[in-house]
Amino acid sequence: MDLLFKYSQISEDVSLQDDKVVLRRFKELEPIEDAWNKWLSTRKELDDAIPMLADPDPSMASLADEEVSALTETLSTFLQSTFPSLLLPPSPTAHLSALMELKSGVGGSEASLFLGDLLRMYQRLVNNNTMGMNWTASVVAQNDAEGGGVKDATVEFRGEGAYDALRWESGVHRVQRVPATETAGRTHTSTVAVVVLPLVEESSPHDGEEELFTMDEIKLEVMRSRGAGGQHVNKTESAVRLTHIPTGITVSMQDQRSQHQNRRLAFQVLRSRLLDIKLQREMEARRDTRRSLVKGADRSEKIRTYNYAQGRVTDHRIGLTLKNLHSVLEGDGLHAFIEAVGRSYKEGLLADMLEEKEK
Amino acid sequence: MFSRLLATLSSALGTPQALRELRWMQAAIDSRASQLSLADMVARRLQHEPLQYILGTQPFGPLNLLVRPPVLIPRPETEHWATVLAESLSPTAQKPISLLDLGTGSGCIPLLLCHLWPPGSVKAHAVDISPHALTLAQDNAALCGIPSQLDGSKKPQNTFTVFNSDFLAEDFPSPALRANSPFDVITSNPPYIPWKEYIELPPSVLDYEDRRALLAGSSGLDFYHAIARLVSHKNLLAPSAIVALEVGHNQACAVETIMRDTGCFRCTEIWTDPWGKQRTIIARK
Repeated sequence: MDLLFKYSQISEDVSLQDDKVVLRRFKELEPIEDAWNKWLSTRKELDDAIPMLADPDPSMASLADEEVSALTETLSTFLQSTFPSLLLPPSPTAHLSALMELKSGVGGSEASLFLGDLLRMYQRLVNNNTMGMNWTASVVAQNDAEGGGVKDATVEFRGEGAYDALRWESGVHRVQRVPATETAGRTHTSTVAVVVLPLVEESSPHDGEEELFTMDEIKLEVMRSRGAGGQHVNKTESAVRLTHIPTGITVSMQDQRSQHQNRRLAFQVLRSRLLDIKLQREMEARRDTRRSLVKGADRSEKIRTYNYAQGRVTDHRIGLTLKNLHSVLEGDGLHAFIEAVGRSYKEGLLADMLEEKEK
Repeated sequence: MFSRLLATLSSALGTPQALRELRWMQAAIDSRASQLSLADMVARRLQHEPLQYILGTQPFGPLNLLVRPPVLIPRPETEHWATVLAESLSPTAQKPISLLDLGTGSGCIPLLLCHLWPPGSVKAHAVDISPHALTLAQDNAALCGIPSQLDGSKKPQNTFTVFNSDFLAEDFPSPALRANSPFDVITSNPPYIPWKEYIELPPSVLDYEDRRALLAGSSGLDFYHAIARLVSHKNLLAPSAIVALEVGHNQACAVETIMRDTGCFRCTEIWTDPWGKQRTIIARK
């Protein structure tokens, strides 16, 4: 595979738009080429070192012995982990940003308070740049609860890889603690449901992908009556509701003073939900990935428990418990969970692929 | 502190609206768009002052316009029909058009059109009886980057010019304005509230917004009759001109008839607003 030759052809052969696709493909293949080149050079070093084992000088022979075992070690690492992980197809969603929807579940006002805590946790994860990804986070919609906390919220995470990393946060998050409002000191259990959707830009060309909807399929409504309306009324009423008729998906947006902005945001959420459906469908169609997805696919499933009394966090999908509750809520400890779940997903994919091969 | 403000504002607006307005107030403070404290804002809101005057701005399509009492606050109904009008015409820099807006207030209608149409495609002229409104409209034009006249550079630009006059007066239009006629588009959101409805208006409108932007005699139709006289006698309309007039909640048929009776128009239509009210009369020459 002569990537350099292919690369030199890019600018001559194709238009700028096609360049992007080819360049992305090139970038995806780069790790494979790197690994293969390193494998070849290590093999060469080993071939050169083996004759030295027979050196009449015992100190030289012992040096050669050390080198041979080190190189053998490196080569087996390549065989056991580097190459297998490269077998995984590159993620088709690697470039996508993410849209996260949080809804308070059981537990009443305590669930709303916990939702506020989770919201801060995710904002800190991004602001501290713990993942080293330079994402940005912004809250696009937020419905505050009367008794403090947040009833529901929608957050945008912009940046490459945001969707692939954060999609493992989808599911039910459970908190066990004594609420600030509880006088008798009893521990309560409350939940927040999180859904992470892929975020697509309105303006970005979809690399030849088809549009997710047409305007004929959309019903756009304003909400609430304005009585006589016009000059008679100056109350701010900027809420809008979109309905995607074929799927019945509705999106309401009322957080901005500008109806124009609410409409733009509602379309953005709709686009994310439709792309999410499309991706789920594609995943299900790929039979070989089905088994490993069972763990993450059901969004009504309890995925994680935050236990305040014991200062621990448990991820139920991978059975990982860490005594780092404080660090997780500050955003820094969270990446350990995100990475562990992502790793487990990759291992599952690989196991499926190997199983498929054996059949 | 916050919960006390929320409780008082909720009693006036209901909790969902109070929560939203508090967040918008806080956002204006956080972005340093306002020097007021949250408590001051809430106190003024409890006196029925419109949120828009407290915050000093009102979104209008993609624009964020300045508002100042007592100049009429741009309404979402107006935003809607002005946007539809912008989409239904397509002037170009090669074939620019001349526009007249009667009773411009904040300047919202012509400024939105200047913003949405391509550079160099429209010369907008805005009339108002209130010098205060015209100052605001000019400030908004500056905010939107629309100059009052071409600056001599080759770059195509839309322009926005204001004229302080009373379009009900006998001597309207002034020679300076007439020099820019004929007009391809005339727009207006004239006062249309009859006095019986005027005295029933909510205090946020009645006590804060300019009576001269709202009140229109006993029928609410005075200004439409004046506009009909203007278009039939004063040769203001270009050959295929279009007139777009906002009307009150039950005036569409009456105003459509007034415009038809001028005999100046080939056809008329009524546009409905997003809340289901017949809101705009479109008359085409």
